[in-house]
Parts: sequence; C-alpha cells; structure tokens
Amino acid sequence: MLRILSRVLLAAGLVFGASSAFAGSDLVVVVSDNLNGLDPHDLNDNISQAASRLTHEGLFKLDRDMKLVPALAESFEANDAATEFIFHLRKGVVFPDGTPFDASVVKFSFDRGGNPANNLKRQSIYVMIDHTDVVDPYTVRVTLKYPFGAFPNDLAHPGAAIVNPKLVEQWGKDFTRHATGTGPYELVSWDADTLKLKKNAKYRIPGLPKIDTLTYRSVNEDGTRLAMLQAGEAQFITPVPPAMISRIEKDPKIAIFDKPGLLSLFTTMNNAKKPFDDVRVRMALNLAVDKAAYRKVIWSGYADEQFSPMAPGLDGYVKQTPWGYDPAKAKALLAEAGYPNGFEATITGSPATIPKRTMEFLQQQMAAIGVKLTVETLEAGVLTQKLYTNPAPETATIQMLQTGWSTSTGDADWGIRPFLWGKGFPPVLNNFAYYKNKVVDDAIEAGLSTVDPEKRAAAYAIAQAQAWKDAPLIFLGQAHNLAAYSVKLKGATIRGDGQFNLDDDATLE
Amino acid sequence: MLAYLLRRLIGTVPVLLSVSIFVFAFVHLLPGDPARLVAGQEATVEQVEGVRKELALDRPLWEQYARYLSQLARLQLGRSIKTHEPVSALIAQRFMPTLWLTVVSMVWAVILGVGLGVLCGVKRGGWQDRAAAAAAILGISFPSFWLGLLLIDLFSVRLGWLPTGGYGGWTSFIMPAFTLGSAVAAVMARFTRSAFVEVSAEDYVRTARSKGVPERGVIWTHTLRNALIPVITLTGLQFGFLLGGAIVVETVFAWPGLGRLLIDSVSFRDYPVIQAEILLFAVEFVLINLIVDLLYGLVNPEIRLQ
Repeated sequence: MLRILSRVLLAAGLVFGASSAFAGSDLVVVVSDNLNGLDPHDLNDNISQAASRLTHEGLFKLDRDMKLVPALAESFEANDAATEFIFHLRKGVVFPDGTPFDASVVKFSFDRGGNPANNLKRQSIYVMIDHTDVVDPYTVRVTLKYPFGAFPNDLAHPGAAIVNPKLVEQWGKDFTRHATGTGPYELVSWDADTLKLKKNAKYRIPGLPKIDTLTYRSVNEDGTRLAMLQAGEAQFITPVPPAMISRIEKDPKIAIFDKPGLLSLFTTMNNAKKPFDDVRVRMALNLAVDKAAYRKVIWSGYADEQFSPMAPGLDGYVKQTPWGYDPAKAKALLAEAGYPNGFEATITGSPATIPKRTMEFLQQQMAAIGVKLTVETLEAGVLTQKLYTNPAPETATIQMLQTGWSTSTGDADWGIRPFLWGKGFPPVLNNFAYYKNKVVDDAIEAGLSTVDPEKRAAAYAIAQAQAWKDAPLIFLGQAHNLAAYSVKLKGATIRGDGQFNLDDDATLE
Repeated sequence: MLAYLLRRLIGTVPVLLSVSIFVFAFVHLLPGDPARLVAGQEATVEQVEGVRKELALDRPLWEQYARYLSQLARLQLGRSIKTHEPVSALIAQRFMPTLWLTVVSMVWAVILGVGLGVLCGVKRGGWQDRAAAAAAILGISFPSFWLGLLLIDLFSVRLGWLPTGGYGGWTSFIMPAFTLGSAVAAVMARFTRSAFVEVSAEDYVRTARSKGVPERGVIWTHTLRNALIPVITLTGLQFGFLLGGAIVVETVFAWPGLGRLLIDSVSFRDYPVIQAEILLFAVEFVLINLIVDLLYGLVNPEIRLQ
C-alpha cells in the first residue's frame, strides 16, 4: 500500500508539492487521446469535453444517465411556440477567482459562443439564438430565430457552458489553455499529456466535491492504460477494448464498467446510386448479416441488438422489428431487384481495429449472397476529405461507409437528424447514405418545432418507423461503453454518449 | 577552426531553406482538409469556411509560403491549428523528454555496444563472439512495443518496482531507455565488430604487432582508434533518428515526446506543427553532422588537416 501511495505521489509530485498530494485523495483518470483545449466553446471531441465538464457548468447539465438536470439555472419557462425561453439563475455562485456569476455573465457567454467572428467550434449550439437579454441580475431571456424545442438540452451541452468573462478578457487567444469555470474542479496546470485539477473551494454545493485533486492523463496505448490501472497508478481508465476485458475480469482490485451506450453502429449505402437506390437491395444486405455473430466476434459480446435507427434511452425511442438473419430471403430479394448473381461494391472505413474487423466480417457475410465487397481503409484526413467534398450524391465516391453515430446532446433530434435528414447531405451534416424521404424529413422537422414532449415523441415515432423500413443503412448493433476502475473509487461512470462522468459526490478511499 | 565552424553554419542556411520549401509543399499537398478536421463532424459549412479563412488556408499556396517564411525569419513558428497553442511552446514541452530519453538510451547503448563489439572482434569465432551475436540478433529483432509491454507487465504490474511510464524521476527512464537502447546497442555491437575485424587485417596493425607493441596497445590504440570512424558516423545517425522521437517507445511508455506529437499533428493535418517539427529535425541533423565531423578530427588528426 505504501509503495503504491509513494508511486502515485511520485507521479503527482511533478506538478504538485508532495505535501498537497499528501493532504487527501488524488484521482488519476487515464484516457486515450490528448486534450485539444480547455475552452468549452471550442471543443468537439469527447475527451476534451469530458475534461471541460469537470471545470465548467452550463445552465443545465446531463447527469450520469443523460437526464437533463438544472445546474446554474434553477428553472425555465418557454412560450408555446418554443421561440422564447426565460431562465431563472441560481444566486450566490462565484467563479474560483471570485468573479460573480449573474445574468450578464450568461449573456456574455452566449454572445461569445455564438458570434461567428470568434470562429468557435461550438457555434452550432447557438445558431438558433436571435438575441439574449438580461431581464434582471438573475433572469435571462433568450429569443430564438425559429422554434427549437430541444433548446434546454442544447444548453446542457459542454459547448454551452458558462465561461468566466474575466479570464476570456485576460487571456484572449490563449484562453483555451487557462479556462476554468464554476464547475466542481478548478484548473491547476495543463502540460503535454497531463491535466491537473484541484477541488473548487467555491463550488456552489457546499462540502462537494469530495476528491481533492484530479489528474487527467492521455495514454494512447491500450495495454499501457491497463497496466497503469493494474499497478495502482490510475483509478479509472477508458476506453478498454472489448478483447482486453478478460485480462482484468478476475482481478479483485478492479471493477469493470459495462453499460449500453448511445453509439449505434451501421454501414451506410449510397441510396442515390445503383445498386443501393433499390430498397430490396438494401433490405437484402440487412438480412445477410448475422448480427449475433457480429456482436460476438467483433465486440466480444459487449454490444446489443439494434431495434431502431435511434439509440435506446433517448426520449421518443420506439422499438422496431429487427431485420433478422435470413440469407436465403436476401438472395431472393437480390434476384427480384435484378441482381441474381449479386454485384461488386467497395466498403470504406477507418483502419482502427474495430471498423477494420467489421468490414472484413461484412465482406465474408456478403459473399454468401453473392455480393463481393472490397475493403478500403483510409486514414482519417483522407477519408474526411472524400466524404465532405462531394458536390452531389450522384458523384459521391464512397459507396458504403463503415461508421456509426452517437448523439452529444442526449436529445432525439441530434440522435437522428445528422445522418437521416434529407437536407443533411454532406457537407451540411453527416447523411453519408444520401437518404431522402419526405415522411422522415417532415417528422424530423416537426420534432424540432415544438417543446411538447408528446408531440415530439409522436414525430420521432414516425421518423424511426419509416427510416427503419427503408433500410438506408445496414443496422449492426448498439455498442457498450467499457471502462475499468479501482474498486476504491465510487461515483465515476461513462455516460451513454461515451464521456467520462464524475459525480459531484464521488469518493476515492 | 572558428572560421571553419562559421563557414559550416552559413552553409546550413540553404539546406534549411530547401527543407522548408520541401516540407511546406509536402504537407500542403497531402490529401485532407485541416479546416474540416478542426471544425469537426458536427460543424456547419459556414463554420468550416470560417476556420479556413482564419487559418488563411483559402489564400494561394505561394502566399501562404511567403507568410510562413516571413514568420520564420522573425523566428516565429505560428500557432497549432488544433489547439491554438504557440507551436514553439508545444515543441518546447516535448523536446526535453525526448532529448533526455535519447541521451540516456544512447549512452548505455554506445558503451555496451562498442564494448561488446571490441570483445567479439578480439575473440572472433569464440563462444563470446557467438553469444554476443545471438544477443545482438535478439536485440535487433525484438519488436520494441512487445519488449516494452513485457517489461511493464513484469516490473510495474507484477513486481511493482517501476512506474509504467510517464516522464518523471530517474526510475521512469529505466524501462524506456532499456527498450529504446537495446536495438541501438545491438546494431552498434555488430557494426563495431565488423569495423574492428576489418582494421585488424590492415598492414599497420601487423606492423605494430611485429615491432612488439603489447596486445592491449594494439587493440585500443591501433585498431579501435581507426575502427571508430564509421562507428562515430553511425552513432551520429542513430542519435539523430532518436531525437526525432521514438514513436513506438513513446506510445508504450506514455512518454510526452516529439514522436507522438508528430503522429498526432500529421493525422490532424496540423500544418504549422508538422513544419516546425521537421525543420527542427533538419537542424538537429545538421548540428549532429557538424559534431561528427569535429569528432573525426579528434580521433584521427589526419582528417583535421584536410
């Protein structure tokens, strides 16, 4: 025990004096990639966003179960048209440097994030805002350009977090290296691969958080992350590749986090071009895949059956009838569509382990119905260029794309619109299947134009049913979120969207 | 001597200038759009264009190069596209970990490698020679990521003696330096042996022996001294390569060095960072070559005269 402690101290001792590390618990969280910054308005990756949620809060937040809970706002009211929102703010909140939080800070933050001249990566969150008014020091009114029912959910996104105006002014372009908000933790330092945080003594909930210091480290190699946890140098690691779980399952000091996530796995087919413009072909390809084998072979069982284009857990989720596995019927459908001997196609994806193995798996499955797939792996930069620079679906060079989608807002809209909306062909959004259906488009737009949960649920029920029936994608499954942690740590989880989540009252023995 | 140094240093300017042109062209012609990569999957078209404009990627290439060169002339490297950090700060953070790891690995690898090489050269054909040859082949062919993970599993997970990785106290150097240096030591040993054997057959070595120079003098003064010239060249080259950042070892041992930075910046098309890193490698190689040339003179005064 003493040895483990001394090594943790050694690791921490670089930045902290040993005395401050001795004073209490230091939690070491290890993730796979480097942070891109600390400015919540300028981040678009899960790893940096999860870190920014430790230091920043928005008017609302999503808890560990992705449920919307108030944070810096106490309550809100909206008009029926969902175009005007009034937020009542929490009183007595201050930033770690003593700057008070009030309505003017909210206005500053929204104006900053949404101003196109600032070129911040999260502008999309603010696009519907027409203007923000300070009603009184603790009341803010936001007027939208068009109805947007999911607005409070939007405000729970890290990109809508409230930033400290004083720090923005002080650091200018370097704000992203110094940002720290009203969250439970406060920034200490950020170097090459290590972010150091300490407890925010002025946090709005007295007595919390219970963990004194937090180290957020980036370690790219899966095996090394695992070794750090086994050696007691880290208390929480994510991600853990499914194939590695068996190596730590029996260790009594280690617990496995395994929960269904929001990541839906699928293969797109270019619906605008032959042979995939025929629904019978797309149905055949869905029927040709043994999804149970896929979950077992590629995910070591850490994936679930998929029942809807939208992920389970989102409001309005409705189960559809699974496509099942029926190669004979698939062959018959292909023949009916005029491809009795199958056809040739290219499937493209990232060279990372799971997508690559998935494509090889599909290649083998499709061979059974006469469809000859060529697997093409492309490095991220090249793939992105190919995907986003097509002027029209007819000229798209990628036939089938191995990909998936996970919503970052926890709302149904962002769980379906980016990849199935007829107006969302790239480069606008990520509809790489070039799927366009009037019923689905109308339903998606109806869901956006109201805050009434019942009306929204009805709209998304229609969209899901139609898009499932049309089989614009090969629906493969729902991935689990996997992590591993020390049994001494309580209150750390992975949320549905794959982000590391630390409860305010988390403890480390 | 000073004039020579000055001449050499001035001679590096055209080298670096051509490197800058080559690297600039290379990174800008790579397929992949940094504006889209920076803006991310959820960005709007306007946003992507906004980023492109902000980064001046919408300007003609020659204009971008001129801008880059004028920055360089003022010793500025610009800001990272990905993190907005000044490139100089990004590189500075990672340079020392890489430099120290390289120095530590090279020191033990060269001492052991040259020592073993001489031993094998002297006892060629003997069991020492064969054992060392086997060890060297093992050292060269052992994949470093595998060796690294094996070491971590044994010394960190099972025994708990050493930290798994990271740049910290001296204990954090042991496993990465061993992993990185073992391949170098193996190459050095083989190389020294063959240079030693070659020189041993020279007339002046036979002359030294026949005029009664003690065997120790024949080995260390007459043979090794002359065999060292190619060994120094190799050491310089290896040093230069390792300074570029050992990507595999840095990845396995979570070492915050230049290799990982390069990989990350290439996959993100972070032009300013890629350009700065490659320019830095070029400068390092130029300096190492200069030092190697000076060392030649030290070992063999005849070279100095030329």
